[in-house]
Amino acid sequence: MKILVCISSVPDTTSKISFTDSETVFNKAGLQFIIGPYDDYALARAVELKEQSGGTVTVLNVGTVETEPQIRKALAIGADDAIRVDAEPTDSYFVAEQIANIAKEGNYDLIMMGRETTDYNSGVVHGIVGEMLGIPSFSPVMELNIDGNQAKMTREIEGGKEKLEASLPLVLGCQEPIAEWKIPNMRGIMTARTKPLNVVAPSGDSLTSISAYSMPPAKGACKMIPAEDAGSLINLLRTEAKVL
Amino acid sequence: MAGFDRKMLNFLLKNVHQVNTITTFDYYSAHDEETFQLILDTAENLAAKHLSPAFVNSDRNEPQLLNDEVKVHPALKPYIQSIAESGLIAATLPFEEDGQQLPKTIYAAAHYILTASHNSFVMFSDLAHGCLEMISTFGTADLKKIYLPKISTCEWLGTMCLTEPQAGSSLSDVQTMAYLQPDGTYKLLGQKVFISAGDHDLTGNIVHLVLARIEGAPAGTKGISLFVVPKYKVDYQTGDLLLENGEKVSNDVKSIAIFHKMGQKATPAMHLGFGGNNDCEGILLGQENKGLAHMFQMMNGARLGVGMTGISIASAAMQLSQQYARERVQGRLPVGSRFPVQIQEHPDVKRMLFAQKAIVNGGLSLLLQCYKYLDLLKVSETEQDIFKYDCLTELLTPVAKTFGAEMGILSTNLGLQIHGGYGYTMDFELEQLARDVRITSIYEGTTGIHSLALVGREILKSDGISLKFWQTEVENTVEEARKLEQTQKAAEQLQSALELFNFTTNKMKEMSEEGKTMEYLADANLYMELFGILNIAWQWLLIGVAATAENGDGKDKLKTLYFYYQYELGKIDYLSRQIINTEKLTLPEI
Ligand SMILES: Cc1cc2nc3c(=O)[nH]c(=O)nc-3n(C[C@H](O)[C@H](O)[C@H](O)COP(=O)(O)OP(=O)(O)OC[C@H]3O[C@@H](n4cnc5c(N)ncnc54)[C@H](O)[C@@H]3O)c2cc1C
Repeated sequence: MKILVCISSVPDTTSKISFTDSETVFNKAGLQFIIGPYDDYALARAVELKEQSGGTVTVLNVGTVETEPQIRKALAIGADDAIRVDAEPTDSYFVAEQIANIAKEGNYDLIMMGRETTDYNSGVVHGIVGEMLGIPSFSPVMELNIDGNQAKMTREIEGGKEKLEASLPLVLGCQEPIAEWKIPNMRGIMTARTKPLNVVAPSGDSLTSISAYSMPPAKGACKMIPAEDAGSLINLLRTEAKVL
Repeated sequence: MAGFDRKMLNFLLKNVHQVNTITTFDYYSAHDEETFQLILDTAENLAAKHLSPAFVNSDRNEPQLLNDEVKVHPALKPYIQSIAESGLIAATLPFEEDGQQLPKTIYAAAHYILTASHNSFVMFSDLAHGCLEMISTFGTADLKKIYLPKISTCEWLGTMCLTEPQAGSSLSDVQTMAYLQPDGTYKLLGQKVFISAGDHDLTGNIVHLVLARIEGAPAGTKGISLFVVPKYKVDYQTGDLLLENGEKVSNDVKSIAIFHKMGQKATPAMHLGFGGNNDCEGILLGQENKGLAHMFQMMNGARLGVGMTGISIASAAMQLSQQYARERVQGRLPVGSRFPVQIQEHPDVKRMLFAQKAIVNGGLSLLLQCYKYLDLLKVSETEQDIFKYDCLTELLTPVAKTFGAEMGILSTNLGLQIHGGYGYTMDFELEQLARDVRITSIYEGTTGIHSLALVGREILKSDGISLKFWQTEVENTVEEARKLEQTQKAAEQLQSALELFNFTTNKMKEMSEEGKTMEYLADANLYMELFGILNIAWQWLLIGVAATAENGDGKDKLKTLYFYYQYELGKIDYLSRQIINTEKLTLPEI
């Protein structure tokens, strides 16, 4: 089985976010970058599937040279080779286009990625890739087993779970508990140095650019309401919080 | 919240100690910056998954000795499995022994991350690492073939058995006996106390490295040998556990009692009996009667490890204190504030926060410096280099151990102080950290013993040659710092501090030459303190030089450097006066 795992390189989830250049540029200085946490689940399950029934896992990242430590980590975790599309991942459509172009050439059985990235959280790349390739896509997949040419999946849906089966090839957006995150071991880390990482030029141009970022509004002060005054609480929930 | 500061760690490794340059040596050339970072990531992942979550709970649920076996906290087993899978334990061994020739500096950096997250669990894996290094260095090919793979994979874990009830600091008084058998093995008889991880239910066997006297050996330190003594008998033909009727066979190592300790509660400290039924088999490790020398040669790593434990715990305390001081609002500033302020605004709290930063990052830097010397020693080719790095590691190991321990304790206590009354309660981790860190100035040689070793050995050794090597290193830093505006003043201060240190050392030499041995040794502890302060001042100057090239965070580092020089370096005047004063009130009355 040939699996393509698409990983994003995102700021560590505890990072403090700031912007520069009149709020038009995301300030990366001093931040620690990690493999997107949902992508990491996808990668872990892909490596498990390879260990169970053979095949190869290729890691794909759309990003600049700065993302190579995350790609190396994916190789240390167990991917066999990697491709980096040398471009800033400016928007979901652009990223999906790059993935679809690589996927077309590689003839993959599974294209796996996280349900969303944890920087911009658009959560649409898997859907667009599926559309571009003309194959089904599912998300968020929380369980995945492969039986011959069939994928047996569990997907989270509003208020419950859905069990599905579909034939390969597929595009999947994954989330926990599809697998446990894998911690690279020394042997993996050392062999990652010798695994191929191919850098390719992007195809097409990004159609969007950022005009400005803004931080969410600061949290409002806490309003204290005397315990005996339930009426004002209800009033505020109606008029200000608008939850009643 | 993470107990370590990865950004600062990376800065120390890359910008201050240029650890990447080590990879230009053939032995380490399989590594590069990326492998180093991935290894540290692995340590971080292990810490987040297995260590931080169990830190408090394992303190509240101590190991129990039940039916002759110790039951440890259930979260330990998955940690041990994961660290075994990570390959970290054997990473510093050579390729031919299934290691990865990882520089010790990077192993130490990983150790910092792990220990800052759970200092007690990490003792199990670190003891295994120590055993591996001992067997790798001194073991015969047969012994290595059996034990290295088992310990590398944590199928078996290990211990160090030195201490006896009458032989703590004074290991020359070890009484455990070893009797040679016709087949070349030995039968051991004796008792050991305080043996960390001395018994547990984690692995199929436990490998004890035991100091004992071979029958007929000379008295004192020259008659002590080192033995490999498994808890369960090993079939030396198959290299596996010896089985009788499908059952493991006891090697007559008995868990007599478990100590109930103040801290590091997840690690059982055991009272062990060897050979109560005259059936405890041991294999000699290294040369006969060289056990103590072997142990000490290898203990340098273990000692630095304890210094690192002190600093790691203090680091965890620092992270918590910084957060608390940001969040806790209390009191007003004497001038200009009508409303209560965050306590980090109060100069006294700020002083404590600064002191924590100076101690933790300065101490960490000194430890990394020592590990780097060990790495350079390993690859040195000329006799000159070997001698130099050997001298530097011998000189600085007790200092880095003692500073990490003593100042780690002090710094953790400052953290508790910053937390006020809440720090004294079990609702905050400071209480646990303050208990845990206390042991570091006691085990692996007390502060008193290390200070005696420093003064007794280094000042008089070959005309203070190690101190001369050290001084050259410090002066090189001073020279660099003189060239930069931001560090010029500190460079001059360190230069005069060096002069005071040399004056003090010469006075000490005079005392020794005049035969005033008691006076000479009496205040060894203060000499250690003075030398520790100087070493940290040196490290801060190195950090300062590197920080001048850094935007943003560089300013904060320089400020900590100035703080250290203003608040700590001045203490050496007082220490020097006490050291050279020959009228010592502490001498025995004749
Ligand atoms: C939690 C814990 C874990 C431990 N783990 C291990 C382990 O895994 N393996 C192991 O072998 N041991 C272990 N130890 C033992 C530890 O190394 C000893 O406790 C330590 O070496 C001190 O010995 P002692 O307790 O007998 O104190 P003592 O030697 O009695 O010392 C008492 C005091 O007297 C001072 N003193 C003693 N002699 C001199 C001297 N000549 N000059 C000046 N001052 C002196 C000491 O500095 C100290 O302050 C552990 C101890 C503890 C508490």
